[in-house]
Amino acid sequence: MTTTAPPPTPARSAPTPGPTWWERFRGGSAWIVITTVAVIIAFWEFFPQTGLVNRVLFPTFSETVAAFVQLLGGGYWWDDLAKTMSAVAIAWVIGVAFGFTMGVVLGTSPFMRQAITPYAIAVQALPKVVLAPLLIGWLGFGPESKIALAVIICFFPVWIDTMVGLALPSANEFKLMKSLKASRWQVFTKLQLPSALPMIMVGVKHALLLAFTGVIVAEILSASDGGLGKLTKEFASQLNMGLVYSVVTIVVILSITLVSIADVIERRVVFWSEESRARRK
Amino acid sequence: MTTMTQTAPLVRVDGVTKRFGSGDKEMVALSGLNLEVREGEFLSLLGPSGCGKSTALNIMGGLLEATEGTVTFSGEQLTEPNRHIGMMFQQAVMFPWRTTLENVLLPVEIFGEKKKDFIPKAEELLEMVGIKDFRDSYPWQLSGGMQQRAALCRVLLHDPKLLLLDEPCGALDEFTRESMNQELLRLQDYAKSTAVLVTHNITEAVFMSDRVAVMSARPGRLVDIIEVPFDRPRRPDLQTTNDFIKLVAKARQMLELQ
Repeated sequence: MTTTAPPPTPARSAPTPGPTWWERFRGGSAWIVITTVAVIIAFWEFFPQTGLVNRVLFPTFSETVAAFVQLLGGGYWWDDLAKTMSAVAIAWVIGVAFGFTMGVVLGTSPFMRQAITPYAIAVQALPKVVLAPLLIGWLGFGPESKIALAVIICFFPVWIDTMVGLALPSANEFKLMKSLKASRWQVFTKLQLPSALPMIMVGVKHALLLAFTGVIVAEILSASDGGLGKLTKEFASQLNMGLVYSVVTIVVILSITLVSIADVIERRVVFWSEESRARRK
Repeated sequence: MTTMTQTAPLVRVDGVTKRFGSGDKEMVALSGLNLEVREGEFLSLLGPSGCGKSTALNIMGGLLEATEGTVTFSGEQLTEPNRHIGMMFQQAVMFPWRTTLENVLLPVEIFGEKKKDFIPKAEELLEMVGIKDFRDSYPWQLSGGMQQRAALCRVLLHDPKLLLLDEPCGALDEFTRESMNQELLRLQDYAKSTAVLVTHNITEAVFMSDRVAVMSARPGRLVDIIEVPFDRPRRPDLQTTNDFIKLVAKARQMLELQ
């Protein structure tokens, strides 16, 4: 980040005796978060014990924690985790590559845009999960079908964001390039692609979460290849809801981690974008 | 080069007409423009908005094709952009992912030359316009005036024979605009290039130019050319002299008579 800071970078001030942690806690917004979490946990712990809901279906917080510890202790799910994450990674890479290629083709060729846009809209309007049985039928119960579903679900935002991004440069920017007699390739690499990059990064991040969704849905539907999706389905059918909660928690932690990493990378790559600049302030 | 008085014009605009659209929607932007730009002079195209002056400039830069007529540059017919012609627009057009220096060096990359060979010249130009300290800053860290100065450095990097200026100070505030105009005159003189400025500001046109081509609106047509006899370099206080005010009044009258 230091490389992109403005020249009059204010020197980091010498550490002064700051407020104590209690003052910071009272003064900041941390107490709001902590209070909210405490209320939710209290509700989670006591509501199932009131008898208003079935305790088997709605385990308490402490039972969930115990199940989580049990899950972490038993190493049997590592294989499922690896299967899910490798499928997400493969689907994401394929989806981004395919979406980007489509975006470039349609973003640079008015003819292709005219020809393909109606189908693109039709495909996007379709709830793509409905294709899962078809893909499983075609590709079998192995990783191929879940990767295929995830690719179909995740490539779209990359495609659209690339296509729209390439059209972002202003008329004056194109005019400048033209006045320098830049080739089409130069206009693409030196103007259109960098201009589109902030939008493409948004699509790529979006695709990551969609790939995750696609893989887990396929795992729940086809089950035989394993994965975290299969795990939740199995635990749910055993009515072991504490373990289902635990797997869900793992999925939440994974997706938050992935998005956070993507955010950091995004801010480095497209440091000039309005959003990156706003977040640096 | 023959004698000083008889040099061939750098640019000759011959009966240029530009029509946009066709049928009912046809719009004549420029009608039968004849104009000669002499080597080394500063010429302004002055007129109300919609008089086709920017269209004329874009045709002279090879960005637009004339519907009728021809443009000759350095004795050859001009049909496409030429690297000896540099253009500046109302916006600085700086790419936000490039530092000031990288933006100035953009033409070097497009022309497929070595960046290293042009860095000293780029730094010299940045120094001349007073923004050398910002060579590694990004455009969004610069003011509008500083960005436009950087754009001036970018256009002068390859010593263009002809500078086409499409209201480069139009988006700046009055104070910045005045100092930017001074900068323009100084650097045009330094680079010994010829300049054509498009503007709708009468005072600016008279102050900057050796000749002012007054144009009329819709369809754009040349009304007359005013010779501006003042010595160079021009100081801002020239604008309060009687002779200057008379010339401005003359130009204003021409614009209003149409």
